[in-house]
Amino acid sequence: MKRYNLAVIGAGPAGLSAAIEAKKHGMEKVAVFDENSRPGGQLFKQIHKFFGSKEHKAKIRGFKIGEDLLAEAEALGVDVHLNSVVAGIYFPMKRLGVIENECLINYSADNIIIATGANENFIPFDGWTLPGVIGAGAAQTMMNLHGVQPGKKILMVGSGNVGLVVSFQLLQAGCEVAAVIDAAPRVGGYGVHASKVARTGVPFYLSHTVVKAEGEDHVTGAVIAQVDSHFKPVPGTEKHIEVDTICMAVGLTPMSKLCSMAGCKMVDKGGAVPETDKYGATSIEGLYAAGDVAGIEEASSAMITGRISALAACRKDCYITDGEFEKEYDELEGSINKLRKGMFSHENKGRTDITKTDEGIDLSMTLLTKGYVSDREIERFPGVVKEKGVHPVIECTQNIPCNPCQDACKFGCISVGEDITSLPYVNKASRCTGCGMCVANCSGQAIFLVNDDFEPGYSTVTIPYEFIPRPSIGDKGTALSRGGEAVCEAEVVDIKVSPVFDHTALLTMKVPKDMSMKARFYKGKEAL
Amino acid sequence: MRIKEHPIIGEIKKGRLVKFTFDGNEMEGYEGEPIAAALKAAGVMVHRHTSKLDRPRGIFCAIGRCTDCVMVVNGKPNTRTCVTALEEGMNVQTQYGVKAKEADEA
Repeated sequence: MKRYNLAVIGAGPAGLSAAIEAKKHGMEKVAVFDENSRPGGQLFKQIHKFFGSKEHKAKIRGFKIGEDLLAEAEALGVDVHLNSVVAGIYFPMKRLGVIENECLINYSADNIIIATGANENFIPFDGWTLPGVIGAGAAQTMMNLHGVQPGKKILMVGSGNVGLVVSFQLLQAGCEVAAVIDAAPRVGGYGVHASKVARTGVPFYLSHTVVKAEGEDHVTGAVIAQVDSHFKPVPGTEKHIEVDTICMAVGLTPMSKLCSMAGCKMVDKGGAVPETDKYGATSIEGLYAAGDVAGIEEASSAMITGRISALAACRKDCYITDGEFEKEYDELEGSINKLRKGMFSHENKGRTDITKTDEGIDLSMTLLTKGYVSDREIERFPGVVKEKGVHPVIECTQNIPCNPCQDACKFGCISVGEDITSLPYVNKASRCTGCGMCVANCSGQAIFLVNDDFEPGYSTVTIPYEFIPRPSIGDKGTALSRGGEAVCEAEVVDIKVSPVFDHTALLTMKVPKDMSMKARFYKGKEAL
Repeated sequence: MRIKEHPIIGEIKKGRLVKFTFDGNEMEGYEGEPIAAALKAAGVMVHRHTSKLDRPRGIFCAIGRCTDCVMVVNGKPNTRTCVTALEEGMNVQTQYGVKAKEADEA
């Protein structure tokens, strides 16, 4: 029987990071098992720029992070077993039963890290089994991995980050998003994710659920309805929406079966998860859990928890001293704590009573109910300033863990400060050159350049633009507001692309001067 | 529909174009992509009908978990088409219950 110093189950962000960390600290035989034919877990479907700060690989797109992790694991000699289903886990023998090539093969390992991630949740409704009702993950898989549109016109159910990010990706794939709905009274995900969807004209219906998928052998429409405070549909509020696809993004449940099979003490944390200490060690000696399987977070923290578990295993087996372990752990703990702050942190999950930012500014209620900040509300945020000439307008209005904007500006125009969940503000003293690095580097696409002195009567607004076909200089179209409504005519006066912008084009449009704080999206003559 | 060009991913890498059959009709797809992707690109929505109530099912999770997309592939029923790579000349059939329609099998 083949024996490993460490066997990791799941080659996603947590698992790959764990294997890399173990190798780096001297473990010789490290294996990762994954049931898929490709490693990387869900990272390769994430085509958006990640949040966090530099140490969390902020502003790098998820699939690139996946490629980097994979290359590192390969270079270090991690033994990656693909198409390998871990079907059994046996303690105290510390053995894995793995189905490979239709054979059951046993492996033994001194340490096992379970990093199996999570399953998508679904809500049942009339017609939910019809072809055309799919998971948000399925939509991502079809369009971002296989290049096939999941549908033409989609209803997104769920306004958490997954629902919002996938809605935007559907638009990028050339699909139409008919609406984003959520039974909750508030948008669940980051406001910046909602805003980039809303400004393209996608309506948000909060306190709404889907009651029916219409169609005989596939979806031809959906019926949505408003819900009361108990999430029950209110009769008489039904609305028909013409769609061919209903996409569900209604949460994730840890895929923790192997943990319970191993005999771990389990607790309920949004689904059954193994009870772990701060190093990811379960109740069973030598068995760890990292990433979403130990409690749903996101990929950035999964990479850190994976590393922490591997370090703990390295210490247990004396690959590193207690002192070395403490030092590295403190660093990683500091790093993960930065991500776990702000209004979207674990302790604030599901709270609807937060009304102010950490800075004491009233939150935008329009953002929470319609997906965009109103013209009146936007004025009160510290990134929104009026200056002479070209300058950034930062429409970042919630305390989310992210600070690439601060590093993007070489001229020190933008500050977030020590705490990466603080709202960015514009330093008036510094001088903006209009380079656009902040616009391209903002993972939330919430930074715009405004120039109210472009020419008499006209201003320019520079927006991040991640769609094709890209408009050309001289094109005339319509400027849309934050809520996606047509506000005025717009002429494209510049379109910048550069490798440093990483596929985010900077589109500069000329609009009447009184529209510079309203126009936030450009729609060409041919519909988006 | 296939995405010809993507603003972020650019050109989506594919294997060579191959022919396969779906319920006896010739179709095209790219070698190595999931059978489900090739079918979806060709507009096929229904992969199987349930055994008791004859209800249609198609792609649901697309990562091999839910088994809604299983079909009869090269005579083998319950093949998860979302995680099974397309090969040239494959015989893909709609699954009724746990088998293909008698007529198709003949």
